[in-house]
This record gives sequence, C-alpha cells and structure tokens, in this order.
Amino acid sequence: MRRIDDLSSFHAAREAGLAKLMPNVPRIAVGMGTCGTGNGAEAVYHAFADQIQGRGLGYKLVRTGCFGACSEEPLVNVRLPGKPLVVLHRVQASDVTAILDDIAAGRIPAELALCKIEEWDHITSHVQYGCDYREIPLWNEIPFFQGQKKLVLRHCGLISPLDIEEYIAVGGYEALYKVLIDSDPERVIEQIKLAKLRGRGGAGYLTGLKWEMMRKAQSGQKYLICNADEGDPGAYMNRNEIESDPHSLIEGMTIGGFVTGATEGILYVRAEYPLAVHRLQQAIEQAEGCGLLGENILGRGFSFKLSMVEGAGAFVCGEETALIRSLEGKAGRPTPRPPYPAQKGLYGKPTNINNVETWYNVAPIVIRGANWFQETGSAKSPGTKVFSLVGKVQRTGLVEMPLGTPLKTFVYDVGGGVAPGRSVKSVQTGGPSGGCIPQDMFDTPVDYETLAQLGSIMGSGGMVVMDEDNCMVDVARFFVEFTHSESCGKCVPCRSGLDQSLRILNKFTRGQATEADLVTLDEISRMIRDMSLCGLGQTAPNPVLTTIRHFRNEFEDHLRAKRCRAGVCEDLALSPCENSCPLHMNIPRFLELLKEDRTEDAFLSVILDNPLPASTGRVCQHPCDNRCRRAGVDDAVNMRDVHRFIADSAFADDALYARAMARLLAVRKAATGKKVAIIGAGPTGLACAYYLSLLGHEAVIYESNAAAGGMLRYALPDYRLPKDTLDREIGIIEGAGVKFVFNTVVGRDVMLNDLAGEYDAVFLSIGTWKESWVYLPGTELTGVIPALPFLEAVAKQQPVTVGRKVTVIGGGNAAIDSARTALRLGAEVTILYRRERKDMPAIPEETEAAEAEGAKIVFLAAPHRIVGDAEGRVKAIEAVKTRLGEYDSSGRRRPVPTGEVIRFACDTVVLAVGETVDLDFVKASGLKLQESGTMLEVDRYSLETSRKNFYAGGDLITGASNVSNAMGYGKKAARNIDQRLMAEKRWSQLWPDFEYAQSAPHHPSESGRHHVREVDAAVRAKTFHEATLGLTPVEAMEETCRCLRCDVRNGD
Amino acid sequence: MAAASSTHSLLRPEEQDFLDGLIRKHQGQPGMLLAILEAIQERQPNHYLQPEVLEYLAARTGIPGSQIYSVVTFYALFNLRPQGEHSVCICRGTACHTRGSRTLLERVKLQLGLQDGDDDGSADKVTATTADKKFTLRTVACFGQCALAPVVEVDHNILSHVNERALEREIDHLRENRDEAN
Amino acid sequence: MPNMISLRIDGELVRVEEGHTIFQAAEAAGKQIPGLCQMKGLSPVGACRLCVVELAGVNRLLPSCTTPAQEGMSVTTQSARIKSYRRMIVELLLAERNHICAVCVSNNHCELQALAMKLGVTHVRYTYAYRSFPVDTSHPRFVLDHNRCIVCTRCVRVCAEMEGAHVWDVMGRGVGSRLVCELNRSWGQASSCTGCGKCVQVCPTGALAEKGCAVEEMIKRGQSISRLAETRGGVL
Repeated sequence: MRRIDDLSSFHAAREAGLAKLMPNVPRIAVGMGTCGTGNGAEAVYHAFADQIQGRGLGYKLVRTGCFGACSEEPLVNVRLPGKPLVVLHRVQASDVTAILDDIAAGRIPAELALCKIEEWDHITSHVQYGCDYREIPLWNEIPFFQGQKKLVLRHCGLISPLDIEEYIAVGGYEALYKVLIDSDPERVIEQIKLAKLRGRGGAGYLTGLKWEMMRKAQSGQKYLICNADEGDPGAYMNRNEIESDPHSLIEGMTIGGFVTGATEGILYVRAEYPLAVHRLQQAIEQAEGCGLLGENILGRGFSFKLSMVEGAGAFVCGEETALIRSLEGKAGRPTPRPPYPAQKGLYGKPTNINNVETWYNVAPIVIRGANWFQETGSAKSPGTKVFSLVGKVQRTGLVEMPLGTPLKTFVYDVGGGVAPGRSVKSVQTGGPSGGCIPQDMFDTPVDYETLAQLGSIMGSGGMVVMDEDNCMVDVARFFVEFTHSESCGKCVPCRSGLDQSLRILNKFTRGQATEADLVTLDEISRMIRDMSLCGLGQTAPNPVLTTIRHFRNEFEDHLRAKRCRAGVCEDLALSPCENSCPLHMNIPRFLELLKEDRTEDAFLSVILDNPLPASTGRVCQHPCDNRCRRAGVDDAVNMRDVHRFIADSAFADDALYARAMARLLAVRKAATGKKVAIIGAGPTGLACAYYLSLLGHEAVIYESNAAAGGMLRYALPDYRLPKDTLDREIGIIEGAGVKFVFNTVVGRDVMLNDLAGEYDAVFLSIGTWKESWVYLPGTELTGVIPALPFLEAVAKQQPVTVGRKVTVIGGGNAAIDSARTALRLGAEVTILYRRERKDMPAIPEETEAAEAEGAKIVFLAAPHRIVGDAEGRVKAIEAVKTRLGEYDSSGRRRPVPTGEVIRFACDTVVLAVGETVDLDFVKASGLKLQESGTMLEVDRYSLETSRKNFYAGGDLITGASNVSNAMGYGKKAARNIDQRLMAEKRWSQLWPDFEYAQSAPHHPSESGRHHVREVDAAVRAKTFHEATLGLTPVEAMEETCRCLRCDVRNGD
Repeated sequence: MAAASSTHSLLRPEEQDFLDGLIRKHQGQPGMLLAILEAIQERQPNHYLQPEVLEYLAARTGIPGSQIYSVVTFYALFNLRPQGEHSVCICRGTACHTRGSRTLLERVKLQLGLQDGDDDGSADKVTATTADKKFTLRTVACFGQCALAPVVEVDHNILSHVNERALEREIDHLRENRDEAN
Repeated sequence: MPNMISLRIDGELVRVEEGHTIFQAAEAAGKQIPGLCQMKGLSPVGACRLCVVELAGVNRLLPSCTTPAQEGMSVTTQSARIKSYRRMIVELLLAERNHICAVCVSNNHCELQALAMKLGVTHVRYTYAYRSFPVDTSHPRFVLDHNRCIVCTRCVRVCAEMEGAHVWDVMGRGVGSRLVCELNRSWGQASSCTGCGKCVQVCPTGALAEKGCAVEEMIKRGQSISRLAETRGGVL
C-alpha cells in the first residue's frame, strides 16, 4: 500500500476502496465476527471461496464484520452491480451452491433474505447501492432494526475490516485529515465538549472535559489508553466494534492524541478476544504502511504510536487506575484518586483512558459537528449507545439506539419479547455493576440518570432479559459470586464484605436463610457500596440491592416458604415439575409407581397429593410441562394425562378403588376435636376440607348450590369433564370424612359471625362467580347472555335459548367453553377476540379443539355495538378491527381501534370477557381488602385474613384463575390452619413411605410424547359426551419411561 | 533491587535465549511483564509457568520476585501447574447462566470425574485438571458471545447453543481419539 | 515557606500545610481518626477504609488518608453512619481469618484489638470463615502467621519503600489474597531479606512477630519507623 500524504493519494485510495466496495461484478461478504464464526460462517466462507474459484466466477468475496442481528447468523451480504445490498440470514454451507446459481442468473435468493439496503449513511460518507426488490423489506423496516440508528456501528458488517481502502472509501481517515490540516486542537475539544459526548464505558463522564484536562497537563510524555477490557458478562459490543471496524478506533485515538498532546497510545484488549486482537494488529500495520499512523502522519509532522497489550483475565482492570497499574507490570489493584490519571497516570505521566465505544464517536463529531450529534439522544446524553440484548428474548444481538429510548422498546419491539407461553420478569442492565429492572418499570428511558435512579446503571450497555424461569435470588447470587471472585482484595469492604454477602445468598438458595440474614445482607450491601475503594466494590451490591428492592417477594419466599417459584434453586424443590405444580404433586413418584406396574400405589400417591385427579387430569393447564427437563431432549412428559389414566383406571376397578380408599383412611389422623367451616364447595374448598379431614379435624363445607364442584360442575361442560366422573371424585372427598351443607348461602342463611362462634377456624373460598360486565350499546337486547349463567344453566340441565348464529366475545376458557357448548346446541359459532392468538388466556388445546369442531375465531376484533331488530332481539354485532399498539404493564400490546368496522349477523351474543369476585360479599364480610379494593387481603404465607382464624384462598383472593391454582390454595390453607390449631407441624405425617426405585434411568425411553386421543371432531361436536379419550395403557407406560427422574440426587 | 542475579539456572540455553529475546523485545514498554508472561505460557507445551522460568525472569529483569509472583497469581490467565492436553472452558457469563451453563458445568465435572477438591483455587476460578492430565476444565466469566449462549470452548473451538448431550458427546469423542492414539 | 490552608474538622478550625491529607490535618489538630493500613512514613493506600470521613457538599465518604485537605472544607470524622460502618469493617476482619487473641503474641498490644475495643465491638455478626492458613517459622529471627494477617500491606510498603528490598508482596486476589515472600519462598530461604525487622515493627497485629515471644509478649515500636522516615525526609 502506498503512503498517503496528500489529497490526491487520499482520493486514489478512496477510489480503489469504492471499486472494491461496489465492483461491477457481484460482491459477496460473509459476516465473520466471532458470532458468525461460532455459528459456522467459516465453513460458509470456504464453500463460497471453493465454488467461486471452481466455477471460474469472477465474483468478489470478502469477510466482513457483524451487522448486529446475532441470532440470525451466519449473515451474508450479496450485492449485484447497481442493485441494493441484500442481507441473507442463517446461511449454511449447503446453501452456497443455490445462492451462486441465483446470482449467476441475476437473481437474489429471496427465501434467505432478511432485509435490503438501498442507501447507507456511513456518517462520514454516504453510499448509494441501488433500488429494487420490492418484496424484500428495507433493513430498518424489520422489527429488529426498527428505530436503530447506526452511528457507532456505521461500518460494521458492511466493509471488510481487513482492508484499509474500504475504510477510506466510506470516509475513513477524513476526520483525521481535517483535524491535522486545521491544526486547531482546542476547537476539536470544544466540539467534543459541545456535543456532550459522555464516556461510553459506564461512568458517563464528559469526554470533552477529560480531554481538556489532559491537554492542559504540562508534560513531555503523555499517554492515551483505550480500555478494551470489556469484562462485563453479557456485554460484547466492544468486541464486535473492534472486529468489524478496527480503523475507526485507530482514527479516533490518533485524533485524540493530536488534540491532547499524547504521542503514544495503548490498546488494552482482553485476552479472551483473540480475533479482535488479530484484526487490530493487522489494521495497525496497514495504517502504518499508509502513513496514517506512526511517524509523521499524513506528512503533517505529528507522530502517534499505537501498541497493544493483552489483558490477562482480571475484570477489575476495567477500572482505570487498575488498568494503569497492570500496564506498569503490577497486579491490577486500583490506587487512590487523587491523583487522577490526567495528572499522574501511567508511569506518573498524564494519561487519558476512554472506552472503545467513546473513541468510535470521535470521527462522526469531527465530520458532522456537535449540533448534528445533539439531534439524537436525550438532552443530557446526546448520541447513541450500543446495547447487547441477550438472554430470554427471541431476537438477540447488538442494538444501537438513541439514548433515552424506553426499555420496553428493546425488550418487545426489537427483541420480540420472550418465548411464547412465558412471561418476562426483568431486565438486568449494566452487568455485575448494574441492577434488575422489573417488568412494570419498562417504560423507563434508558439513560445514565434514569437507570441510576432505579438503583441500576447503564454501564457498558449489557441488557440481559429474564423471564419467569429465572430466580432473582439466584441472579443476585450469580453476580456476587462473580464480583467476589474478581475483587482485587485490597480493601476490606469489597474483599470481605462480598464474601459474607455470598455466604448469605448461598444460604438463601439452600433454604437455610433466617430473617436476620436478610437484614444483614441489606446492611452490608449498603456499607460495601458506600465504603469500597473503587467502582467494582461500589457497584457490586447493586444487583443485591435492586433485587431486594424490586423482588423482595422472592427473597421472602426462599426464606419463609422455602420456595423457589422459578424452579432454579434445586435444594428447594423435589423436581422442576413438582415445583411448578400448584399442588406440588410428587410427579416422579406416581410415574415411577405406575412404571413398576403398581397402579394401586400410584393411585394412592396421586390422591394423597390431589383429591381430584380425574378432573385435573382433564382440565389442568399443565404448568408442569413448562419446566420438564425432558423438553430439552424432545418434548415434556405428558404428566397430566398419566395421572388422569391412573385415576380413570382406579375408578374402573372397584376392588382397587376400595383398597386404596381403605389405605387413605388408615393414613387419616385421630380426631382432634377441632372444627373448621369451609365456605364454597369449589375446587379450593374441596381441597381444603379434604386435607383438614385427613388431619383429623371436622371439616364442614357450606355451599350455595345443591351439589359440590363449583366451576367443575357448573361451568365446565360435560364434554370436558363428565359429571359422573366428578361425582366419583367427590366421593373420595366424602370418603375422607368431609361433611356438606348444601343450598346454604353465607350472608343470608348463615352469618360469618355465627360460624366464628361455632368453629375454630373459617376458610372462605367462594370463587369468582360474577361475570365481568362489558359496556356495550345493545347489551340490554334479548339474546345477549353472560357466559357463566349460560354454562351453569346447561350444567343444571335447565332450558337455555340459544339461537342459530352465536357470537362469543372473549378469549379465555369460559369463552371457549361457551363456544363449544353452543356448537353442541346446534349453533354456528364465531368468537371475537381483541388481541392475537398467542395472547389468549385459554388453553391452546381447547382453542384448537373448538376450531376443529367448526368455531371460527376472528382476532383483533373488539365489539363495538350489538344491533337489534324491531322486537328488541339481537340481529347483528359490529366490531372494530384493532391493531396492537403500545405494551401495557401486563407485557401484552394494548389493542387500539382502527377505523374499520366489521359486522356479523347473529341472534345470540355470549359475553365471556372475564369473571370477578362478588364485591358485595367481600365488602359485607368486614374483612380488610387489598389495595385494589376488590379482593380480600390475606397474609402471603398463612392465607389468614385480617380477622383471626379467618382464612381465604382460591379465586376469591387471586381473581379468576384455574382449577389447580385454586386447589393449591386450598391445600396450603389446610396446612396452615392445621399448624395453627395444633401448634405443631404435622403435615408431612400424612404421607406413608412408598418404596420405589431411587435411580435415574440409564436409558430413558426414546419415544416421543404421547398426546391424548380425541374423538373425531365432526362426531364429538354433536354430543356432550367426553371429547378426549385419555391415554391407552401402553401409552401411559411409555410416558412413565420417558421421565428422567430429576428428583434423584445422588449424581448417578 | 533484587539480590545479585544468579548465573546458575536450571534452564537450557535455548530457553534462556528465548527469554532474553522476549525481555529485549518488550523492555521499557507498558505491559511488558504481562506480554512476556503471556508469550512464555503460550510457548510452553503444557501452558504453564515453571518456577525456574520465573526465577530467571526475576534475575534478568530486576523485577522483585514477590512482584512477579503477585502478578502471576493475580491474573486468571496464568497457570502455575501443567494444564491438561485438552481444555474445556465453560462460559459462566450472565446470558449463558440464564440459559443453564451451571448445569453444564456440573455435568462436565461429573463426566470428567472432577470433584470440588481438585480446584486449583488461584484467583478463585474453577480450574481443575483430571488426574490423568488429559483434560483441564475451567470457566471464564464471559467470552463475549452472548447471543450464542450457552457457550463452551473446547481446545480453542467455540461451540454455541450447547446442550448437555452435545457436550457429553464432544468430550467422549476427544477421549476416544486420545485412546486410539495410545 | 509552604502555603497554609484552613479547614474545619468536626467544627474546629484547623490550619495545615497545603498538600497534606485530611488525616494529617486531623492528627495535627490532635484528633485521632482510626486507621490500620496507614502509617506515618509509608505511602498511604486507602485499603482498610476505617479512616473515612464525611465532607459537606459531597455525597460520598472519603478516605482521609489519601484525600488532600483543601481550603474551606468542612469535615466530619465521626457520625452514626461512619461509626456503624467502622464497626462492620472490624467485625469483617475478625471473621475473615483466625484472630484468637487469647493465644496470640500481640494480645493487648494489637492495633486491631485496640480498635475493636474502642469501637465497642462486643460480638461479630458475621459468619467466621475458619480458613486454614500456614505459619512460616523458617526465618531464624521472625515468624509470619497468616492467620493474624489483615493484608494491610504496611510490611510490603516498608520493605519496598524504606528498606528497598521488596521481599513482600500480595499474591492472589479477593479473599484468596495473601502475603507472599519472593517467588513464594519460605522466609528463611529469602535471598533479598536483610533481616532488618522493619516489617515486624510496622505490622499492626500479631501476624509478623519476633521469635522467642510467648503470648502477649510482642510489643512493637512502629513509631521508630515513622521517625526514621521523617529524618530521612522521605514520604510525608
């Protein structure tokens, strides 16, 4: 490469570069940052190279950096002369032949296309590729890139990082040229100050002020350092910046050297980034070869030398004084400031350290000016920041956004939210120095000050998204383990304080923590924050303090209930499935017992954990599937249908059933003489009464209806849960000694105060039986019926008038139940839901079954008004098409009405938008209410209300939920009531020892998951007979063999 | 200043020449000691720093022995014990952790027969070498490959989206190859 | 003639030479700020954090041993928060290693012990780590007992700065930090140790001691080192 020392040689280099960037032959650029290479880009590159050569094609093939959409790697750019640049994604070596065939025919392989670029603002120049390919979206039209502004990443993934001419082609080194020609360092510093460029390493200090201090320092030798010791786990933007565009860093530092008076620059790069080190070395050599670095740059008499030092694995060296000591050949232990590096730094000389990304902002400010820079970002923090969006989002990668963009934009819009069926919990920002921001605070703009107010920091820009499967206590422990191991050890608060913090956090994850521990942890964290010598110690407690602040419940759960809801802390649960089950059924046990062909034992195991297995086996939402480890192999074990099989088998075998019941009663404890009243014979009340009875108490259920079951009997249709099956199950509960008082309404026929006098404890579990009303013109017309009364009437076999064309409004289980019931009554059914399918609360299998039976579902339709005929009967319904707008605090998009109205002719409208608590009852009870004012307040752990010995559980305190959740509350309440009444923990005494194999299978079954058999849709839609048939014995047995026995702990 | 340098060294002449060359190359440069130590370790077949090498370095450079030892034990990169033939490095960064890298680590520990007592303990990172010196298991705080979580590096090859089975197969494969070579 | 500046310490007006630290200003005014790593005559490192003070108008707590006194400062050396934090630090130290006073050569002559008593530490709320540390008795005249060491680095500094031998340094990091002699030699094998014993004299606890001392018999003369530094005109 020739030396560049004047404009004409500059232009020559530029032209040469442009000819490479936009040749008149097809150009193929394979993304080969570490991400791409890790995903197979090397093989892709070689495939291209081999074939291009083998087929004698004259195409230009280069390696480029990373464009940022890391989860789409390998990325390959293809550009035909005169046409837009097209980014292909997830390219494998096997795709190469077809791609080249397409290119040879002048086509673009559209199926592999992610997006196209017609023109690109390189900030230091502008490039026009060409217009075409209407079917391919522009890069900033696709969700991942929408809203992004590529300033720092202006060249990444587009130019070759190995070729200085391509860098020059897009305006590289022009800023340096300008600065040297103008020869006015003060003016450059003014621009940087005016631009309010803040350090991008995390502290956010004004770069201009640092440079000014450095310039003013009187000294011969001065040093510039680039901190590329990116140690934050979860952050990798600096790595990408260097690998994809090393020259921007070199240029930035050279400019910095000139204006501050430093003649030597050092790049401190961590050893874990070998590719970055390599690319930087090559770039330095090229720059020196051109005379753009080293002696007498551009012939202007300014000399600047850049050398590289590799870090050796110490996170603390990201702190500037530690970094300097490291360069001086000492251990990387921070030293006191003052003196500041700008006064006395490396070897006692004035030194200025800036983060990689800060240097990348220099050339743009020089070329486009401070005013231009201020147009982006927030008032206090202009410009952009590159964030690494990782963790549980659908789309991970590097995201460059203007500062001040709200957090929810990153999580939902760019990242696409979390996996379907999961809910997002928090975002951890700023790495180990940062904190966790809970989901309800996602409106927060991402900026230095706003994040600091929440107890976090922006730091290097790491953003780790966490969902319900992440335990925040474990997250706190994880970070403290990291900072503890990276602590330099010099100051006592950090060295010893973090050690004690880790001990306490370990106690939490093992269920051994005490109340005092939580206080000590909080106290010591504040001390470490206030007393530590350097930034590592000062910020290390942030993860702990923010999780205690925003997720205190999780700490308390670990402490008081010894529960880890996320299922992470293994010492606190038997197995992931058991932990997720609201009833905490010992699932591995019943699977193993059935596997050993011991149906009676399996049935006893099941009914000891859950008195309504045939019901839950048919209608439970199966949260156990979500965490089943078998899903990592193929699919979760079908535990729900196995326990249904066990129950059904027992009910079909009278002798077995009788023996099991006898054994159940043998477990029952002696009469205690205590009496408990339970209000409501729904699943919650039934579960509570059952366990109380087994514990020896007299349990009496007061029920307003004529029979027990609650929603199971009066809302769930027969085709889901046959009534005789339910009756059989309630027989178990009666068999356990529970008494019922039917047709009795508490508050009318008997008063709570009366019960208080007669019973030792009262448990309220009346559920949610009021239909949520929707305010809609036309609801007074004949033919508009709320869902619950409709389903209840059908269950009670009362006359119900349903027309021929039914519209159901809603997306939950009640809506689907209503729809499928209406179908069976001979109607044509349309369901209107105002959001999308994935947002529906109903169990997906139910929704699919409804559609198979002929129901139509119209999504994104919100009811607008119901139209009546002259006689006041429903004749049509009008709905407004919605589109999904902003994310609300539930993590779903709010439906926003568009102008479009659609109309459905119908004669019946079923309103199934939700169920609520009976507010009159709640208010009349005299018990304290929750802040919302609509539900009773109970102690989180004991379920006691504000009145002594009065407890409440189920939908009454949670709002409308599902059967197993409801039963879980009943079971928990029984345990707590018993403990209070007997002043003793007797719960575990209820379970006999079941002896069964205690080893994990060496060769678990290879078979896939068995799904429950369904009656043919056309057949079943005409009757109320059961729609699903359950597993066959062979299928059930195979399912038990698929279980990996996560409950076994001996490491076998 | 260190005491008068010892001309008595356990190192062979070529080794001494190599070290002298390194010292000459980096003399007076910032980061000299790190660069020298990194180069020495890279070249050593078992990737560790031998005591006699450190003695020689102290004597030749005048850097106090205690300072050299301080540096060698402060940074996670440096090993004072011979490393195994194959290195398995599990990333324990945040993204990898949220995607289950701790389970991977426990799994590999079991598979390689490494108990907690085998930990070298320096710099508080997991570094354990199997008794037959064939495998060294270590962790790294973060590879910077977060989008590919969980990440494991086996002998300088980065594997992405690693699950337990894949890693088990990979290690078995290395074991078999080695056995064949024997 | 050095420039004099004035500042307020605990309400009292104090005059001190420009360039001196807040700690030195306090000392000159007869106020004792606790500290275990600092020592007159040695460069300050700000490691123990016991000497922190509050400064009016500044949010953070500042280590007085390394912060230069400035004209017009208003410093508070004792506040409820500072006292509470100092106690925590001492408790952390006591829990970190094995400080068993009853059998220690420095019992009743120990700076850590004295400070604990002064701060009113009656019990330690943290978990004792009971780490196992060796005792190096290889030197003919001295003993290094790591169990009593608080890694204050006074010994490192006095050997490097005053004696010029740099025998000691700190190896490892975090709670694994430990004093190291040369290339991890036993003290008796050290080739650069001059046997001057300065490290023993400056050590605030019983970690470094003279052989031949039984329990309670090790009395140190750290002031002699400070005087030596002054007469040499060395570090402030």
